Amino acid sequence: MKVYDGSQQADASQTERIKVGIAEYDVSTDGAVLTTSGLGSCIGVAIHDENADVSGLVHVMLPTADEVDGGNAAKFADTGVETLVEALEDAGGSRRAMIAKIAGGSDMLDFSKNGSGIGERNVKVVRKTLDSLDIPIVESDVGGDHGRSLRLEGETGDLVVKSANRDEKRL
Amino acid sequence: MRVDIKSLGTFNQLAHEGAQQATASMSQMTGIDAVVDVTKITLVDSAVVGEELADQEFVGVQFDFEGELSGRTALVMDRDCSETLTEALLPGDSGAEMAQSGVKEIGNIMMSGFIDGWADYLETTIDHSPPTYIEGIGRDVIPTAEGDGESDQLFVFKSQIEWIDESVDFYIYMLPDYDSLTDLMTTHADTESDAIPIDKLQVFNRMTERGTQKAAENVSMMTGIDTEAEVSHISFARIEDVPKQLENARYVGTVVEFTGVPSGFLLVLFDETSAKNVAEAMMPVEMDGDELTDQHTAAIEELGNIMTSGFVDGWANVLQTSVDHTPPRLVHDMGQAILDPLAAQVGQHQEHAFIIDSRMRTDDVEFEAEIYALPNEQELREALDELMVERAEETDADPDKLFQ
Repeated sequence: MKVYDGSQQADASQTERIKVGIAEYDVSTDGAVLTTSGLGSCIGVAIHDENADVSGLVHVMLPTADEVDGGNAAKFADTGVETLVEALEDAGGSRRAMIAKIAGGSDMLDFSKNGSGIGERNVKVVRKTLDSLDIPIVESDVGGDHGRSLRLEGETGDLVVKSANRDEKRL
Repeated sequence: MRVDIKSLGTFNQLAHEGAQQATASMSQMTGIDAVVDVTKITLVDSAVVGEELADQEFVGVQFDFEGELSGRTALVMDRDCSETLTEALLPGDSGAEMAQSGVKEIGNIMMSGFIDGWADYLETTIDHSPPTYIEGIGRDVIPTAEGDGESDQLFVFKSQIEWIDESVDFYIYMLPDYDSLTDLMTTHADTESDAIPIDKLQVFNRMTERGTQKAAENVSMMTGIDTEAEVSHISFARIEDVPKQLENARYVGTVVEFTGVPSGFLLVLFDETSAKNVAEAMMPVEMDGDELTDQHTAAIEELGNIMTSGFVDGWANVLQTSVDHTPPRLVHDMGQAILDPLAAQVGQHQEHAFIIDSRMRTDDVEFEAEIYALPNEQELREALDELMVERAEETDADPDKLFQ
């Protein structure tokens, strides 16, 4: 009788990589790397608590949950950030020790004729929500007219930003 | 017969959750981490089901199901993927027979969960046959289902499953018999108000086909490269799944916003190799080097422009209305990053989106172009309401007919 417990596949020497899709979030408690790709006007919000050694990443798409009925909290900048912070607290993190790094919110392909585009509004709402939770944004790489992919290194809280036509940045 | 947007959304969600459950069972058995990437419903010609499968060997399992919903479902993966799976399941036993039974065992566990999920939601029983092992090259591996009889279109639910650390092709297809599904959608429709008549959705599919043909003709005319419209279909997915239609590789192309009913966005995209090849075919002089230059992108911009016009003209003719669009904007970026601002703009008013996806290809030069349209859902519904079914044949506008 074979027991399928997955242990045969475990490989401790390799850092685990967790992929965070659009409108999703995830938390790493064992130094795992969190990645998300193809951010246009979307924003990646990376939150790290060095004391508790927990990190989290959320990939939000639209500014506020009020604008659309129901759905998935991680899709919106306001509820997405709140949900991630709660998940980090559940994983042992403390809000007072958390710092945030944000990237994305490009205004590429913004066809809106008046007012600010979605990318810009996403940035605004992320900043406001983090501010109301007293979590400082220590680094950011937002705006512009290019896409980004992110890698959050759970161990250090470093956020690596890759763009199609630019050099890699480490925040 | 009508199908409402909410029930399309619900059915899509159901297929997505079913695929997630199936994938979780597989991960538990094998210890291989996998996630469901995208689930979408596509209304497609039965002749092109599975066209996304590469020309290589696939294996899998197939089930027939019957009850309130009848049809076929299949789990397919490429040969390498099945070997990795079997190895994880039965280490050391790499014989062909073992591989087959490994695939069958995994398939059985995954698909039972998938079908049970549907039965639970529908509060009914759906019986399924024992699993049958299938193998074939590319799309030949996919079982067939009953189309709608007349035009042979059918709804296909497709989930793409991605392994965290490897790039392998792994899909769940569900092909309900057309009548069985449309009956069910009608039964589960909440209201009549936001329902789309199914025959019009089909007409819209045809209209997109014609639009793509026109765009391909324009490419042939401009470049001298004989180009054919290959596939086009309309699918339905959650807004957050829209950007996943594209790989994260870089693409070059153009984007316009179109106005009228419906309004929305239209993208013409080339992968970088295609962009380079097609642009060079248009240029009078030989180019050195592998880099995409400003000359390449200028040629792509021009090409994107005429393809957009061709496509939009095809629509306007059927709808007998004018469809205006902004001047094209050139994009050159990661595929998903190109789609996400557009999905977000459409997503401010809707949770799901119709995605119109067409492709063209040529034998002369290695090149493939993709056209995506993201129409406003509400307006698409209005446009379809206005649409006369007979008019689908008129994309090749005949002035005598139009102005008599």
